[in-house]
Amino acid sequence: MELNSLKDAFDRVAKKQKLSFSKTQEVLDQIVQEIEKAIEMMQSTTFDYKSVLAELKKKLHEIAPLSQLEGTQKELNIALSKHPKALEKILNPDISKAYRNIEFDSNTVNQIIASHFYRQGLFDVGDCFISETGEAEAAVAMRSLFQEMYQMLEAMKSRNLEPALKWAAVNSDKLKENGSDLQLKLHHLQFVKILQKGSRDEALKYARTNFAPFAANHMAEIQKLMGCLLYSDRLQDSPYAHLLSPTNWDVVAEELTRQFCNLLGQSYESPLSVTIAAGVQGLPPLLKFMTVMAGKKQEWQSMKQSPVPVELDKEFQFHSIFVCPVSKEQSTDDNPPMLMSCGHVLCKQSINKMSKNSSKSFKCPYCPSDIDATQCRQLNF
Amino acid sequence: MEIDPLPNGSGSAGTTNPEAAATTTVAAAALKTTPSSKLSQLTESLKLEHQLLRVPFEHYKKTIRANHRTVEKEVSAVISSVAEVADCNEPSKEDTVLNLTSLVSRLQGLKRKLEEGSRTENLQAQRCRARLDHLESVDAENLSEWNNVRLKRILVDYMLRMSYYDTAMKLAENSNIQDLVDIDVFQEAKKVIDALRNQEVGPALAWCVDNKSRLKKSKSKFEFQLRLQEFIELVRAENHMRAILYARRYLAPWGATHLKELQRVMATLAFRSNTECAKYKVLFEPKQWDFLVDQFKQEFCRLYGMTLEPLLNIYLQAGLSALKTPYCYEDDCTKEDPLSQDSFRKLALPLPYSKQHHSKLVCYITKELMDTENPPQVLPNGYVYSTRALKEMAEKNNGNITCPRTGLVCNYSELVKAYIS
Repeated sequence: MELNSLKDAFDRVAKKQKLSFSKTQEVLDQIVQEIEKAIEMMQSTTFDYKSVLAELKKKLHEIAPLSQLEGTQKELNIALSKHPKALEKILNPDISKAYRNIEFDSNTVNQIIASHFYRQGLFDVGDCFISETGEAEAAVAMRSLFQEMYQMLEAMKSRNLEPALKWAAVNSDKLKENGSDLQLKLHHLQFVKILQKGSRDEALKYARTNFAPFAANHMAEIQKLMGCLLYSDRLQDSPYAHLLSPTNWDVVAEELTRQFCNLLGQSYESPLSVTIAAGVQGLPPLLKFMTVMAGKKQEWQSMKQSPVPVELDKEFQFHSIFVCPVSKEQSTDDNPPMLMSCGHVLCKQSINKMSKNSSKSFKCPYCPSDIDATQCRQLNF
Repeated sequence: MEIDPLPNGSGSAGTTNPEAAATTTVAAAALKTTPSSKLSQLTESLKLEHQLLRVPFEHYKKTIRANHRTVEKEVSAVISSVAEVADCNEPSKEDTVLNLTSLVSRLQGLKRKLEEGSRTENLQAQRCRARLDHLESVDAENLSEWNNVRLKRILVDYMLRMSYYDTAMKLAENSNIQDLVDIDVFQEAKKVIDALRNQEVGPALAWCVDNKSRLKKSKSKFEFQLRLQEFIELVRAENHMRAILYARRYLAPWGATHLKELQRVMATLAFRSNTECAKYKVLFEPKQWDFLVDQFKQEFCRLYGMTLEPLLNIYLQAGLSALKTPYCYEDDCTKEDPLSQDSFRKLALPLPYSKQHHSKLVCYITKELMDTENPPQVLPNGYVYSTRALKEMAEKNNGNITCPRTGLVCNYSELVKAYIS
């Protein structure tokens, strides 16, 4: 983003501030100099101290330190007042324009925040927050759930797979149900780790004990791993060198996180992160709309549907939304999407309108086929 | 497949009101997710960061102005001292020399103070620059990390506004974002708020003095409200004479602009603090102090260019509204949707539903988008799933499909493709 004008405006301020600083020092030095000169002159007995004093007063008046300072200060003030204007030009000065004045229940918000902290593994911050807000219960449950996960992940960071293997063993049925091969992946990593240490026999023994249950579905992978045994002491030069890459650990850590959350009935991403990310995408069009609708804020505050269409990225699409290309309305239970015989889809009300309530056939707006309204089927996404 | 303006029965396709025109151009801008539009999305999100840059700047400006005032004051004091000594005939030579020497040391002291002040100013300038750099530093590679930091900044802002200072500091330290958050600015506010909670107006009044010119410019009556409260406390303690003297000195100047309110509070003189008269009982309530705290928070935020509401609330509202659909409240809403959670549902209740101009279809089985690369297919019972999901199912089951929601079994060949743009 073009931030150069802001940087320039700020640099100007900093420059003027430095000038002002050195000018002030200069002026102060001048005054000190004059006074010290006067003191010196007074202490040498040749001069009458009264006249020296009068001279000093006149000199100080001549120097006019205050007006000197005024000059640089004025320039500084101009730069200081220009900068916020530059800021307001490039950035949106008021992002609360579209805010609806409804009470957000602070208990609910605090609960959401506490859960978020525990989910992200920020246990001390979460604890501190709980003690400062006086909230308890609900989020604490989240804490113990995710603590287990982070302990496993921490262990994996130091290449210790024991906790993860134990957990995967306990939950192996559920993991299989979800179609996850996490357990095998963990064994895979452990196997390579043992092999790296150079003990081929131990690796073989490990493979014998642990790979067998997965043979049915993952034969190709197991065969590949068995091939590694040939290169036990020089894996990095073998065609299997990629197995040593640390990214394998990251991939498995991610799968572990995903499955752990899945088994707990939790989402993979923290819901707070997702909502805020959606907000970052949804806020700019909303604000643009508010500048256009400036006078009508009251009206918009009570609408049931946002007047601003917001197209969020793919990762925020959790539900199917069908928008009729004719009426631009979103389908509802009363106005469901209907499949026409040509394969195109319109909402029921549009079809009724175009066919004059099923009384006659009409042309599909996409292709020139004739459509009979009674032949249209309701769709369920 | 894009649809052109229709020749038959279209009615609402061509809109003419200005709001819709504005929104359709906005919608067009936010349409596709090509890399160039990802960049413009990023630019739009950076434009929301006014507060990030404005607050340290206001702080910097304040320090500069305060330091300059000190210098001006001291210099003019020294000069007038010299003039005084020169005009006055009393002191002897020794006294004069002593006097002048003390002025010199006063000036040396001022120089030291000036240097220290300049150091502070430089630190604050550094902070302003650090934030500009932070905004510049975002690009496609570090985007998710940058977004993570943004969420943390938003949370620290929330903590500071709700006065959860310990958590704010912990979070900032933990993620190393001390330069990007305004903890020191809020420490200033903390003093005033703590005092007000303790029913003391001292720090608050000092704050008003510090920011006199800005408050005057925004026609703030916060100082007046503080004085009113002090008056009421005097009345409560039945210190009526002092109360009247206080009013004469501190409340009268506000009479010109706020007469009605002044009169109302003055009337409390006639009542006791345990009065049952509703109109005046409310003035004696401790809740009045909470009101002052809120007023202060508002004035404070306004002064520093901060939004009145916490950033968290603003983003939450926008996000919840953008995500909210009637389907979110159904029982089978996917866990990945934040609105499947009770706490989020509760917050989203009073908010409007999202609006979209283009269909976005999500396969019930794979949760993937059903678009031209993975088109939707319709079963004989009207249920729709993605081609990919159905193909996979058919391959594993001898070409047969079982609808996961109704149990209907049919053959892959019975499916009909739907064309949805």
